[in-house]
Amino acid sequence: MQATKINKISSYEGFKEYKKYLDKEKSKDQATKILVGMGTCGIAAGAEEVYKAVLDEVEKRNLKNIEITKTGCIGLCAKEPVIEIRQGDTRVLYGDISSERARELINQSVIEGNIIKEWQIPDDDPFFKSQNRIVLENCGKIDPESIEEAVINNAYDGLVKAIAKMTPQEVIDEIKSSKLRGRGGAGFPTGVKWQFAKDNESDQKYIICNADEGDPGAFMDRSVLEGDPHRLLEGMAIAGYAVGADKGYIYCRAEYPLAIKRLKKAINDAKELGLLGQNILSTDFNFDIELRLGAGAFVCGEETALIASIEGKRGEPKAKPPFPAASGLNNKPTIINNVETLSNVPDIISKGESWFRSFGTEESPGTKVFALAGKIKNNGLVEIPMGTKLGEIIFDIGGGLENNGTFKAAQTGGPSGGCIPIEYLNVPIDYESLKELGTIMGSGGLIVMDEQTCMIDLAKYFIDFCKDESCGKCTPCRIGTTRMLEILERISNGEGTLQDLDLLEEMGEVIQDSAFCGLGQTAPNPVLSTLRYFREEYESHILDNYCEASRCASMFNSPCQNACPADVDVPLYIDYIRQGKYKEAYKVIQKENPLALICGRVCYNLCEGACNRNSIDEALAIRELKRFASDYVLKNEGGFPVPHIEKELDKKVAVVGSGPSGLTTAFYLRKKGYDVTIFEALPVVGGMLAVGIPEYRLPKELLNEEITVLTTMGVELVVDTKIGEDITLKELKEQGFEAVYMAVGAHEDRELNIEGKDLDGVYSGVEVLRDINLGKDLDMKDKKVTIIGGGNVAIDVARNMVRLGAKEVNVVYRRTIDDMPAHREEIEEAQYEQVKMNCLVNPIKIIGENGQVKEIECVNIQGAEFDKSGRRKPKEINGSNFKMEADVVISAIGQNVDCNFNCKDIEVNINDDNLIDIDNNLQTNLSWIFAGGDCVTGPSTVVEAINHGKKAAREIDQYLGGDGKIITELNIERELSGPILEEEKPRVKMPTILLSERKRGFKEVEKGYSEDMAVEESRRCLRCDVEIK
Amino acid sequence: MSTITKKEEYIIDKNELKNVLTQFVDKKRFEDDEYINRIKNRLEEILRENLNQSHNLIEVLHEVQGLVGFIPKYVQKEVAKALNLAPGEVTSVISFYAHFSENPKGKYQIAICKGTACYVKGSVDIIDRVKKEYDLQAGESTDDGLFSLEIVRCLGACGLGPVMTVNGKAHGLLNTEKAVNILKKYENKEM
Repeated sequence: MQATKINKISSYEGFKEYKKYLDKEKSKDQATKILVGMGTCGIAAGAEEVYKAVLDEVEKRNLKNIEITKTGCIGLCAKEPVIEIRQGDTRVLYGDISSERARELINQSVIEGNIIKEWQIPDDDPFFKSQNRIVLENCGKIDPESIEEAVINNAYDGLVKAIAKMTPQEVIDEIKSSKLRGRGGAGFPTGVKWQFAKDNESDQKYIICNADEGDPGAFMDRSVLEGDPHRLLEGMAIAGYAVGADKGYIYCRAEYPLAIKRLKKAINDAKELGLLGQNILSTDFNFDIELRLGAGAFVCGEETALIASIEGKRGEPKAKPPFPAASGLNNKPTIINNVETLSNVPDIISKGESWFRSFGTEESPGTKVFALAGKIKNNGLVEIPMGTKLGEIIFDIGGGLENNGTFKAAQTGGPSGGCIPIEYLNVPIDYESLKELGTIMGSGGLIVMDEQTCMIDLAKYFIDFCKDESCGKCTPCRIGTTRMLEILERISNGEGTLQDLDLLEEMGEVIQDSAFCGLGQTAPNPVLSTLRYFREEYESHILDNYCEASRCASMFNSPCQNACPADVDVPLYIDYIRQGKYKEAYKVIQKENPLALICGRVCYNLCEGACNRNSIDEALAIRELKRFASDYVLKNEGGFPVPHIEKELDKKVAVVGSGPSGLTTAFYLRKKGYDVTIFEALPVVGGMLAVGIPEYRLPKELLNEEITVLTTMGVELVVDTKIGEDITLKELKEQGFEAVYMAVGAHEDRELNIEGKDLDGVYSGVEVLRDINLGKDLDMKDKKVTIIGGGNVAIDVARNMVRLGAKEVNVVYRRTIDDMPAHREEIEEAQYEQVKMNCLVNPIKIIGENGQVKEIECVNIQGAEFDKSGRRKPKEINGSNFKMEADVVISAIGQNVDCNFNCKDIEVNINDDNLIDIDNNLQTNLSWIFAGGDCVTGPSTVVEAINHGKKAAREIDQYLGGDGKIITELNIERELSGPILEEEKPRVKMPTILLSERKRGFKEVEKGYSEDMAVEESRRCLRCDVEIK
Repeated sequence: MSTITKKEEYIIDKNELKNVLTQFVDKKRFEDDEYINRIKNRLEEILRENLNQSHNLIEVLHEVQGLVGFIPKYVQKEVAKALNLAPGEVTSVISFYAHFSENPKGKYQIAICKGTACYVKGSVDIIDRVKKEYDLQAGESTDDGLFSLEIVRCLGACGLGPVMTVNGKAHGLLNTEKAVNILKKYENKEM
């Protein structure tokens, strides 16, 4: 707003008059205001073009009485560019506004008066609702280059009150009582620090604001400097008044050019108005502020190094004591405070310390600004009360992880801090609790990491940073960080040893104790913290040469192969497809995974999450390509290739269970030359592949084609034979089987323990799937079916019900849809097929009529605190009961293992979770009996069962005197067969049949790629496995 | 070393300055006498304003680097003379701070952020790609003087990571492809 220039304010009353005058001018101002967020983030997202578009459109439309302002950052970086439109008293905030959308907004919102709901960020958006904006109150709401707007929004109220109504000691007492603690990281009580400086007699004292904000990942201070600079100036002036300093310096990093510009203007404007400079409000209080620039040295965030830098010297820290409050800049008493600390001061003085203490906790009152960054949906700045739980920050305010990632850890405190893993989501964020966890509050950077982050890589990153930024003065820091980095590099190159871990811990502790300044003393923190919580990850790098997050490049060929539990050489087979050599492609897959066709249809595709192409456009359709190769070879190359039997060994091995795990073991052992017999309890072969996974996902005919490879190799299949009933383990031994692999899976439904479970019309999920797959008649036509559960069995049942003609299919699950363990793709397909997901609902009673199910009583759930898996514990909301009509209720709440295979003399140990007990070699307590798959892990995935199958084959071979080598290497050169496509190119979509066709029967939903589609998709592969010289 | 007491006594040798500036590849600029004069005059202004004020060294270096583009040895000596410091002290401060450069920078100065948030979002891939594309190492310029590359640790735009600035202008939400395309636009003078 434009107000006429006035003379300097020379008294308390004068200030009040000025404010009244501004308020009057404002109320006269009827202009429509358009605010465009133009902090550095906004500009990086394209806000400058948006601003130009707004100016242009307003001119084009010849609109009058419009005020267009650049404002600071509102904190929701994920939605930048951001525009707010104010007409009279209404304010509407819009996000994700491009230049075109901006023009649309002018036409719709400004001219027509319509609110465009899709782009609106509502007032009760969880991102804003949970915040208490004290420091950030004006950011994004005012023009930061207008002192008038600042004053209308209460800037300088605190300073004027302090000078006119309080003594310096009263000001200090107020800050002390408020228990404000330093927000730069250390949390020292601000009032106490000010008292020291006040008590030290001197002819000259200084106030320094540390605006260096060197922590990578932290941008809280930048927001205040760019968005509300007068708040900081006011805080500094109050500090000056309190301790008796007449000179202030703002040490701002050079990387913040916009902040520097706005600070300079703010200082000038404040001086012109008489709120800074000589004889403020006609008293003998003088206070001048000068800007000093940093020059790219992280260590200058340390107070003594910062002072050296202001003095024009190298930023090398000095010994403390003496502390700056006693002897600082030019050896005079100096208060150094962080931007956020000083920005809290004005409101504490104008609103009082008890107001301040109404936020936060007893020991840490007030709020803290956090910069949420990393793999989180709502990237941005949030100001929340101290004591908020970490899980709330990440999942409620932050919106959870982006791209369906799983939370792995959160990093606080930047290079001086540590990480917090998933078990501690209930920890309230305050200075003490974070210290207990081995980290620090730091300046407020909170980096969220998912399973694609390698903790060794992260530790390496931070120590590398500290090594770079070390001033070099003391040996522990200069040499220590270098040596720690060397060790970490060796570990990530596959050359680490277990002793290295002990060495890292020892060195870390020594450096913490002996480094000269805070940089060195805290440099080992990230390393020690990751060692504390993720030691197994370090160990698997060292002992297994395995980097689960697929970051340490020397440990794998390509991230996709690394992520595949069966270690399939993905880029190689994709390249064969590109070349049109489909049989070769199938052979590459079959080498590591004999169930290529099956996995091509049902695999959980962990590979896609690791695919590097995710950062360009979309991951490769790895599963779909696997399916294409298998289908093609089956149809056009005369069937699947059957591997050569190496040498007949005349030794017998029994495999119990013909699911994916058993089939895999049988395949590899037969290939090695053993006589293998598979015993299957059911009348059909395939385990869950045959009686669990529905026909429309995996047609039985095709499943049997792939199993035929085994019988062609000479594997014996004996069906309708259950171990423990039709034949015993003892009899197997007597029949000459020298080893047994138990792969019986988990086929028993967990019991639903609620009233009414024995009524007619209540079924169990696995039984239902088995019956449908074995051809039994199930009458679900026109029935209302409710399914309890959220895993793959529940969703499979639901989609089956759609095809059996059910009138309505409801899934009831006690957690959120994001918490459902079922495959994401399956849930989406089910929703397309009109299955209704009722989440955060628990069934409590099944109500019947005449012995038949009539309805099911449910209660609504709210998520309570987080459990160890990072999900919220379900808590019933009292009195929220409701009834759901149902003719059929099917429970699918988990599966157990049928452990009735033991007999007299032969007892395989079962553990407390009712799973078969094994050691690291898949061996049970009886040396000749091995076990793997679901009966050992609980319900899991097909590809993990296959992995166990391979491992069991290795172990059994070794047990029986072999060398344990079951894979025949193919010795293929890794070369590019064509150029790598790096431009954005969307993934080829898998064609599926329409809903109407799905409902009519059990036809396969996915139609499969054509040859053209497959080749086109395969060309998107980046060949991460090929080293470019 | 005697102190200069009068501002007018402080003068820069124009020929020495010209020799130094022609280290830039863009020699045509320095055939222009007027251009050299402008730099000489502004440099003298900056140094005269800060005569004998050694505590202003860092501010002076910022202004000098902003004017000349880098701080060659000759200019370091002049700064030392004006601020009453030993030349070694000036060099020592320049070598300490990452921001200051003794070598000429490119016409377009690329700064790619390797801060934690950008790192976690894949900025390393972008850095590698840019290095490969322009045959650059960090701290160096391309042979034709068009681009120079700096790796920085946090530009403070973490919400829009990965982030790169070109001559201070921020570009966010990058991937390897977008980054290279943006640089090509600068090359073709479309930006």
